[in-house]
Amino acid sequence: MSALPRLSTVLLAAITTLVAVLLYSPLFVPIVSSFFTISHGDVDWSSPTLSTYVALAENHDILAALRTTLIVGVCTVILSVVSGTLLALYYHGRRSGRSVLQFIIFLPFLMPPIISGLALLIFFREIHLERSLLTVIIGHTVFVLAIVYRTVLTRLQSMSRTLVEASYDLGATGWQTFWRIILPNLSSAMVGGAILAFALSFDETMITILVTGTQSTLPVRLWAMMRLGFSPDINALVALILMFTVLLCVLAARFLIPRQVATERT
Amino acid sequence: MNQNTDLLTLRSVSKSYGTVPVLHDIDLSIRDGEFLTVLGPSGSGKTTVLRLIGGLEPLTSGEIRLDGQDIGHMPINRRPFNTVFQDYALFPHLTVSGNVGYGLSVRHVPRKEIVRRVAEALELVQLGRFADRFPAQLSGGQRQRVALARALICQPRLILLDEPLAALDLELRRQMQEFLKSIQREIKTTFLFVTHDQEEAIGMADRICVMEAGHIRQLGTPHDLYYKPNCEFVARFFGENNLVAGQLGMVQGELRSIETALGRLICSISGQPHLKAAPDGASAYAAFRPEALHLADTQDTDNRFSGTIADLAFAGSSTVATIAAGVDSAAQRLRLRVPSRVDGSALKSGETVSLSFAPHEGHLVLA
Repeated sequence: MSALPRLSTVLLAAITTLVAVLLYSPLFVPIVSSFFTISHGDVDWSSPTLSTYVALAENHDILAALRTTLIVGVCTVILSVVSGTLLALYYHGRRSGRSVLQFIIFLPFLMPPIISGLALLIFFREIHLERSLLTVIIGHTVFVLAIVYRTVLTRLQSMSRTLVEASYDLGATGWQTFWRIILPNLSSAMVGGAILAFALSFDETMITILVTGTQSTLPVRLWAMMRLGFSPDINALVALILMFTVLLCVLAARFLIPRQVATERT
Repeated sequence: MNQNTDLLTLRSVSKSYGTVPVLHDIDLSIRDGEFLTVLGPSGSGKTTVLRLIGGLEPLTSGEIRLDGQDIGHMPINRRPFNTVFQDYALFPHLTVSGNVGYGLSVRHVPRKEIVRRVAEALELVQLGRFADRFPAQLSGGQRQRVALARALICQPRLILLDEPLAALDLELRRQMQEFLKSIQREIKTTFLFVTHDQEEAIGMADRICVMEAGHIRQLGTPHDLYYKPNCEFVARFFGENNLVAGQLGMVQGELRSIETALGRLICSISGQPHLKAAPDGASAYAAFRPEALHLADTQDTDNRFSGTIADLAFAGSSTVATIAAGVDSAAQRLRLRVPSRVDGSALKSGETVSLSFAPHEGHLVLA
């Protein structure tokens, strides 16, 4: 670092700041304006207020949407963590069909959501599954699976092979090794993956719109509200979703830092 | 415990990874209660021997017999052996006592007994105070001792140690060598210790098995290996040595002559019947240690030759001189080790000196 000439260090810092400001500053507009009332198309800066948040809490449509989002999120997390972990274990076991499996897992995550959504929609129609919360949950699980799978697999691959050997060497059976050695060492990766999966499910809009029945999740509700113009409660809702998502990501990051590194620092 | 009975026997054990052979027809007997070191350079197959015995790798062919029963295909978790891994392989999510007690708890030993035996084992490795720490909070030497306690708590018939000291610094390594040796005496369990460090092997082992390229080259006490190496590889690998090529000559009792570029040398063949039996004129090496070589005085009549001191290196307690010897001065480089003195060595670089070694301190190896 010290080898870098002073001018270029300053320049680099300036560019980095500029990029960060350009990328993230629009997010502050709804957050700030959610604390003020708008009258006659103008923000009234004189009186900060929480009234939009109070209004939001009394909006039954939004509360129902929030409930739906939470149900979908929790179910998606459970399904994706269980299946993602199993798939990662299968892949790590060096069995056949590994690359095909990995490709299939990543496909829905990498494809544009509209393609994944349409594919799911057609699939559900073909097997005569009514569009409902269930189809939304399945859609979300397929979408976020790659994240959980990748997180768990990375941890598995960084785990020393001798841990498993040591467990067998000390007389443990395969099941004992799995429950007492492998799973505890994966748990923080699984929690981290679960939080990321929940955050993704919480935000997911495109696939949800395509496969949902009559119920709408929070982002879908938000999207519907925006068609009628920007109302103050949209600002409040955006601010809340943003806060929640950032919180989840910070949490996930904490779980994904390997424990060993964390304890060695103390 | 009787050091003369065999605990474990390997019979024509071979191992290949795919088409690449790593062990060729190994025969090895491990005696009950001994400290056996498997010594060899990297790639010699020494770790593979350990992994085959521990059951971490499947056998390609051959037998591993314990109490006369072939256990070559017994699953790893049913073998009465425990391993100390090179990277220790401590379970990061368990405390020191969780790690040490693991082998008992997977066998459903009652909790009370686990607590008691863990405390005993930690006492033995002097880690009683650290029972509630996690591995990440321990130093390298402490982790090493946890790994040892974890291996010996199940009272295995044999403890396998895979270069366990490689990651430690020199001072700590010396301490751990003494420590391991004393533990082994105390619990009277057979140790199979794998290392590439010959100094480590000499210091700890009852017997050493030298391996090279998937073969066992020699098995014997450190003293035997040092003074009676049976081949060029062992003679060169095991400690510093001077090897001078030549042709075998006459046998005179326990001595035999060899014609070399340094003239006729006389070396001991005591206890090595194959050297007595070798035909006259057979290619061989005269081998003598740097500390056996000395400046000749008038009484030295045998094994006397002259050389020029090419280099002097101070090595603390001793000084090592590199000597160019022989008819054509560049033909042979020898090493001479003499005790260091505060006022400097009597040797001077560039000086021509007369050298000698006693016949009983020289030995022969067939080329």
